[in-house]
Amino acid sequence: MKRRDFMISASAAAAGAALLPKMAFAAANRIDWYTSSDQNIIDFWTNIIKPKFEAANPGVTLNLVDAGDSAGLQAIEARAVAALASKADPQADFFEGSEARLPPGALEAGVYVDFSKAGLSNYSKLNPLAADIPQNITYRGSQVLLAYDTTKLPADKAPKTWADLVAWIKANPGQFIYNRPDKGGSGGNFVVRAIWEANGRDPSKFTVDNYKPETGDPMLQKGFDILKDLAPSLMDQGAYTSGNTQSIQLLSQGAVTMIPAWSDQALSAIKTGVLPETTGLVQLSDLALAGGFTKNTIPVNGVNKAQALKLQDFILTEEIQSAIITELGGFPGVSWDYVSKDLHDKYKDVIPASIPTWPGGDWDKNMKDGWYRNVAPNVDRNA
Amino acid sequence: MTLGATSDIVGTKTQGRGLIGLLLVAIPVVLVAWMVIYPIISAVVTTLWMPDANGTDAFTLKTYRFFFSDGYSLANLQLTLWTTALCGIILLVVCLPIALYLRFAKGRLAAYVQGLAIFPLFVPSIILSYAFIRVLGPNGMVDIILNAMHLPKIRTPYLTPWGPLIGLVWDHIPLTVLILLAGLGVVSDASVEAARDVGAGRFRVFWNIILPKLGNSILVAVSFAVLGIFSSFTLPYVLGPAAPEMMGPFMQRTFRDLYDAPNAITQAVISFFFCIVFGLFYVRSVVKNQRGRG
Repeated sequence: MKRRDFMISASAAAAGAALLPKMAFAAANRIDWYTSSDQNIIDFWTNIIKPKFEAANPGVTLNLVDAGDSAGLQAIEARAVAALASKADPQADFFEGSEARLPPGALEAGVYVDFSKAGLSNYSKLNPLAADIPQNITYRGSQVLLAYDTTKLPADKAPKTWADLVAWIKANPGQFIYNRPDKGGSGGNFVVRAIWEANGRDPSKFTVDNYKPETGDPMLQKGFDILKDLAPSLMDQGAYTSGNTQSIQLLSQGAVTMIPAWSDQALSAIKTGVLPETTGLVQLSDLALAGGFTKNTIPVNGVNKAQALKLQDFILTEEIQSAIITELGGFPGVSWDYVSKDLHDKYKDVIPASIPTWPGGDWDKNMKDGWYRNVAPNVDRNA
Repeated sequence: MTLGATSDIVGTKTQGRGLIGLLLVAIPVVLVAWMVIYPIISAVVTTLWMPDANGTDAFTLKTYRFFFSDGYSLANLQLTLWTTALCGIILLVVCLPIALYLRFAKGRLAAYVQGLAIFPLFVPSIILSYAFIRVLGPNGMVDIILNAMHLPKIRTPYLTPWGPLIGLVWDHIPLTVLILLAGLGVVSDASVEAARDVGAGRFRVFWNIILPKLGNSILVAVSFAVLGIFSSFTLPYVLGPAAPEMMGPFMQRTFRDLYDAPNAITQAVISFFFCIVFGLFYVRSVVKNQRGRG
């Protein structure tokens, strides 16, 4: 071999060797954090939680990674499950916006920490409404509600029940839009609300493991029929935006009068001026739109498991819980007794007594695909 | 343009130089084989060789049968083909005059036009999508201008099949213009002037002198645009209607929301077969070019 060839291959090997270790192992004292949530949550972590946590725990850093959406997060979690079986390093320590029942088999494999036995000092403060299996733990909640333009629809005329809402949409064609259910929870939970309406307004009929095609599909279909009936009265006779943010954009441009929106996104949009001060928010009183507490999970095999647990305990402290209300517009994950009294009094009108939830897994999957096949097409948009 | 000279580098003049040449092409060839050819073969095999009712692997066409009997999937394929074909035609109509102008015009204005034509190359498609909503969306800039002139509002193309179409055409202008411009480089000033001397008008020069030399470049430009548009994702995702979807968002949704890998791979294989036709056009034209010069 000639000298030059040797040099080329030697330097290539050296470059490869320098790159490899970084790719293969998680760094000690660096919490690899993944989320399925939207940008406002990542901003909240970057600007509030990360600096506070790193200041309180010198030497520990937070590596915040956006996994895109829940399917993206599940791909990372599947890696942790595989790593547990092969006793390898999952390169992940903390999952925000997670669900311990997913990916299928993760719970049985025992990949997630049981928080009831993890010895967190703030565990007892958690809001009882958020009670779930002990592998899931929360720190914030939010709910879908209706955001509308009070200059076009006075607050006292805003619909308070599903029947009022349907009547309003039909009486004001082109003034309402929701996003495709798989592209964001505001539209997704609007679709869910229609399905509940068609099935006796009883969310308890839908659980994470009771979907069966022969009984489930007709239940979903009844909800789709309601939505199909609404379609000609939506913006552009049946247009659907591709995300929570795009719906808010249309409301802010005055293209529509009302949209379903996440409470935290709507409140921060009003705060930053994306939505005007004249934006009104209303929740349906016969049965609220779905919402829920965001769940976190921690893999048992993460290199920085101890620090990750410390982080979960940290975000349940009064300091961060208050910031969730004031900075994020969300609900605290702890009981309202554990946030400052001023905040408690200021927000007592929006403190929810119950938050209906929609299960992930098969119901969710069939709701989304069924919507695409039944509600989205079949509309003659030129009519 | 200097393929003859490059082929000398990999020529067999000395043993050592030949080895380096092979090593240099080895990396891209291995990468293509590993990350393109192998996945394609594996995709075709996975969709044709699946466990049957008894759980044993057997040859089956069921996912393909499902795709071609499912009205929803076919509507998505049809929309993709419609968008691709229309984009290809509009791109040629828009870009050919720009390229001709840039080939023959001199001076500062031509430089500005070139800069403007290449500009979309530097705009990420997600930025383009949101800008599109602001400008052409409901109550967007166009509506505001029309309103100021007391004209009625436009029917917005946002969330209709025309949304991604307009975005994709804008996005593909630079590449198409550059390829056509490179092709026009072959047309010598002398031949154009000679034709003018014998009294040929503008159209005759274009039709009899320029177009025969440009055929290949047009084919390459259209193939590149079609390959990019067929598999596009961001613009149809953000700007397009909920249904029918283009193949890109449809595949992504089938795979990630429905966890239905076999059907998603089937959609990919079907897309691949439509794209390969244009890929072959491109390869054929490159080979023809090389033979013509070699």
